[in-house]
Amino acid sequence: MSELIRVEGVSKRYVTSSGPVDALRDVSLSVGAGEFCTLLGPSGCGKSTLLGILGGLVAADVGRAVVDGRPVTAPDPRRVATVFQDPGLFPWRTTLQNVEFGLELQGVPAQRRRRVATDLLGPLGLRDFEAKYPRELSGGMRQRVAIGRALAIDAPIVLMDEPFGALDEQTRLLMGEWLLDIWRRTRKTVVFVTHSLHEALALSTRVVVMTARPGRIKSLLELPMPYPRAMDSAELVALRSKLWGDIRDESLRAMGEGNA
Amino acid sequence: MKIAAIRVAILILLLGAWEIVGRTANPLLYVPPSAAVPALGRLLALDSYPDLAQHLLLTLREILVAYALAIGAGLGCGFALGFNRLVGRAYGPILAALYAVPAVVWYPSLMLFFGLDAASKIAFGFLLGFFPITLAVLAGIRQVSPQLLVVARAFGADGLTAFRKVTLPAMLFTLVGGLRTGLALTVVGVIVGEVLGSRSGMGSLINHAYGLFRTADYIALVAVTLVLIVGSDAIAGLIEHRAQRWTE
Repeated sequence: MSELIRVEGVSKRYVTSSGPVDALRDVSLSVGAGEFCTLLGPSGCGKSTLLGILGGLVAADVGRAVVDGRPVTAPDPRRVATVFQDPGLFPWRTTLQNVEFGLELQGVPAQRRRRVATDLLGPLGLRDFEAKYPRELSGGMRQRVAIGRALAIDAPIVLMDEPFGALDEQTRLLMGEWLLDIWRRTRKTVVFVTHSLHEALALSTRVVVMTARPGRIKSLLELPMPYPRAMDSAELVALRSKLWGDIRDESLRAMGEGNA
Repeated sequence: MKIAAIRVAILILLLGAWEIVGRTANPLLYVPPSAAVPALGRLLALDSYPDLAQHLLLTLREILVAYALAIGAGLGCGFALGFNRLVGRAYGPILAALYAVPAVVWYPSLMLFFGLDAASKIAFGFLLGFFPITLAVLAGIRQVSPQLLVVARAFGADGLTAFRKVTLPAMLFTLVGGLRTGLALTVVGVIVGEVLGSRSGMGSLINHAYGLFRTADYIALVAVTLVLIVGSDAIAGLIEHRAQRWTE
């Protein structure tokens, strides 16, 4: 697998009213083309910051991110598409118009972008909702529109920042299955942020466990098994407890810090 | 349907009460509807005030000019203050404080400065319309979700594109509301200016009829002016409604 994303010694510190926070310290990582790479860790471990740096929305203090051989300095929608935790749909746009947004910014002619967006509605499960506004959609549908908006620009890399974080457990499981299906069909390179062990194990080709403040990489876990995965197989149950062991200490530390 | 019936009932009740009070009171000061309607007929037949059309047109022209100026200055000022945090924080409170001052206190100085003719009416209408438009722009900019701007940036929008595709549509409803209030207040400003001191325009006719105790004519002139005001507000309301349907 050829390397598509490389993170080189990235550090990022935020200055808040209660003092400086080390969001990331000396993080290095390489993601190959076609991977589904999950960043797993407790809240506040800098997962979202790392994603922001990859997407060109956040500048690193030290180090750099290299995407497709070029250092990231600003958002580049031709190579990277982003899905946010809050779907961030435009309330005055219909489903179709929201999906078209990125193509519109790239100056794609109206007819062609309409066709691209319409073709996506089927796999998104939104065919009957093309003319609905975000307020008329359920949480899961909204997040699918946001994913559709990211897929429409057909960038080779899709960054997803806890896209299912705000959904209920059942919807979350179904959305995971749906996303897996989409990913396997489009062969995008996905960098996915979550704090759900289940999501990480069910979806990823690789899991990157991160530590709480300062955010560092604690361990890497390769998951070569085929999809769909039987989550109750002995292998995955064992991996789950190993991952939980890794992340438990970090979550405890994050909690302790929260209490202090 | 029910609401319409209640409205008609209220109207009939008010007119009835007015008729009764008007008939019993001093006919010099109070005019019942039964006398006001013929007066309205005389007014519209250009009988009582033959140059009604000129005055009406002048008032309309003053309103249009004042409103155009208020929109231009209000939008310019609002965006300049809204997008420049430092300037906005310095001038925002001053603007809000000035808005709270009853604007009529400025009118004497406007008349001294701009004279008795149209210019002082336009200035006063402008002054009243300017503040709600500016404040609506400021409020609108504040309510644009930062998250949506981040999304636009992630998809490659530069500053101008983000403004066109995100800021403007997100604030549109508030902006149109401010424009509507601005129009209503501009109309009030122009007409009040005319009533307070002028030689032409609807306000001057109203003042004339009132001053000569031609109360029935006065009522008729007020009715015509009301149609002007309610009509302009109804058009603004329709536009606002469309904007609401579009943005929500």
